[in-house]
Amino acid sequence: MAQLGKGKLNYRCPSCFMRDLDIDMFLDKKTGIYSCIRCQFRGDEKKILEWNEKVRERYGDMYKRFTKFDFD
Amino acid sequence: MDKFVVNIIHRPEMVPEYSATVTGQGKEEDIGDKALITESLDIFKTQQRLAHENGLKCTIQMTYAALFNDEAVELAKHDHDEFGDEIALSLLGLPCEEFREKYKTKDFCIWMFSMEDKKRIVNDVFEKFHDCFGFYPESTGSYYMDAELTNYIKEKYPSVKCAVATCWEEGPKAYHTCNNSWYTLFDGGPWAPWIPSKQNTHAPAANAGEDSGIVAIPHLSRDLIACYDGNGSNFGTHPQNVLRGMIYDTKTWEYPYLYNLIDQYRDLEKYNDGYSYNMMFVGPGWMNKMGRWEQPYELLLKSYTDGCKYYGELKKQGKLVDMTMSEFADYYREKKKVNEGNYNVPECAPWRDILYGSDKQLFWYCDPYMRACVNMDQGGAIVDLRPYVAKLNWPVGIGTPHVQDASYPFLIQEKYRAGYFTHYAGAGTVRSAKLSTGGEEVDLCLCPTHMHFSEEVIDGVKNRIITLDPIEIEFAKTTVKLQTKEYFAEGASNIRIERNILDITGEPAEIYLDEYITACYGTTEYPEDMTGITLAVEGAEMQKLSYEYKCRDLKSDAAGMVSATVPQINTKVSLSVKDPVPGYVEEGYAFSPMFKLGFKKTIEKGEVFGTWLNLEKAN
Repeated sequence: MAQLGKGKLNYRCPSCFMRDLDIDMFLDKKTGIYSCIRCQFRGDEKKILEWNEKVRERYGDMYKRFTKFDFD
Repeated sequence: MDKFVVNIIHRPEMVPEYSATVTGQGKEEDIGDKALITESLDIFKTQQRLAHENGLKCTIQMTYAALFNDEAVELAKHDHDEFGDEIALSLLGLPCEEFREKYKTKDFCIWMFSMEDKKRIVNDVFEKFHDCFGFYPESTGSYYMDAELTNYIKEKYPSVKCAVATCWEEGPKAYHTCNNSWYTLFDGGPWAPWIPSKQNTHAPAANAGEDSGIVAIPHLSRDLIACYDGNGSNFGTHPQNVLRGMIYDTKTWEYPYLYNLIDQYRDLEKYNDGYSYNMMFVGPGWMNKMGRWEQPYELLLKSYTDGCKYYGELKKQGKLVDMTMSEFADYYREKKKVNEGNYNVPECAPWRDILYGSDKQLFWYCDPYMRACVNMDQGGAIVDLRPYVAKLNWPVGIGTPHVQDASYPFLIQEKYRAGYFTHYAGAGTVRSAKLSTGGEEVDLCLCPTHMHFSEEVIDGVKNRIITLDPIEIEFAKTTVKLQTKEYFAEGASNIRIERNILDITGEPAEIYLDEYITACYGTTEYPEDMTGITLAVEGAEMQKLSYEYKCRDLKSDAAGMVSATVPQINTKVSLSVKDPVPGYVEEGYAFSPMFKLGFKKTIEKGEVFGTWLNLEKAN
């Protein structure tokens, strides 16, 4: 089967996400490798999940609950 | 009493956006897919249940497709009777078999149709709504409602008094995020509810003559820092947007950011006479049973459940009032003093970073004459400026000069037109100041600080004032302590920026202050033709030049005003001073398609130097 398809979940390319691009990836069901059709990212689910955590590194206050919003 | 008002809106969309391209990947399109319609309706029911379980009233925006579905109509009637929900009409969700058959097109964004088709569609959906419910709706909406569309609806169906009319900063950034395939280009509008003018939806009405007759609400309440720099659809009061941004803990499925976002909006009541606002509007496609991007259905459901629960808890604590859209329209006109004939009460939003871990702070200001963004991280520089005073006639849709581009043009936009930092040559758009002495120069854009908000009546006019923490600029032998104050006088169409020279220490020196604005015009990142812009210095005599990319300048030793008239957007922008000082204008060149206006003078300790940034409509 030549064609790529969708996996169980609809993973986006983490490399593109880091440059503010939402692009779905497509799965090679034989190899379990997801491909981005815009950039050169390829990887299995484990690699994607690892890279998704890298995406979150930009959110330095993602786990913080704010109670004050001014600087008074 | 302080009020944090929330509109919860649901739409029974029979063919949810994304269903064809995402969940339906690998299948031929079937717009009448019964399984999809059933699932869609189930999601709508779930959303309604979650809101009601938390004691929240909803506005049900019926889609065209839903009006052909008896179950959806009965559900709306039931929830109106049982929970007091408003039954409204959305101009989203047009796609269905009936629509395709009748209009022979796959277009689905109401503002992009020709005016003739807009009228046909409005007549069609409003009459169909009347057939179903026996009355015309009081609320409507889309992602964007152009002025011509709103004016037509209001003329034909005067019962309409509220509409979802724009989605904040959904423009080129959203387009790029979607791999240049999502054509919702409408940057430059208000982030909070407003009364659109009859001339241009983005620009609030300045008087009863300009009043379109509706109160507009934004589609979602967006993060005023994160959305300005990044993809708007990751940072809004749409729980699944927060998931789209991956802003959640993958182990615990918690997302404190969502609550921080809601709470920062609640905090804005301190700056808006005790009023603040949120809206949550989630289409069924976002709670798809197959999951959405990396998130399984269970997480999608949890996020919406938690969103409703948080609003519900605030309501129980007396910290939130839920309203339907039409109830809100009445409340808004009263609260903003429009019923007293005052259209000039602005919207003010000091906003801090709550996501990336910085202490950056912006101040957003919006009134019928301008939208401005002041960046405290750049010493109080104005980094975005939209001249609403021009009330640009900007028809959109097929058959107009702007088929998709509905953005309100900027004079300054630091992300699209460089701002302070440029590569190698040229200048970017910003309103700032420079201090210089003995060959050294410091721009206030490189002096991060914070602001404090206050209000004061000056010469009978209410001013909103931001006062920045003082900064100390160190030159080799001299230090200048300076404090910036920025005044927004109600209804004045100007911003007065005051530099207070608190102290000068070290060796005596001649210190210059250069107050300037570098600007251009446009709606996207790409340059527009500057030819024909008139630059002027008004001193003892009037000097003018017409823009030809020749890198020229004009100067006067005693200027009261320096200006640029931009006929392309019917706008005159100027800087002025009370007593004449040396002033200049600079023409740009092809690699730097900007103009610059400024005043440059020496300063002394204890001096207070004020300049006005004025916006006028130019014919």
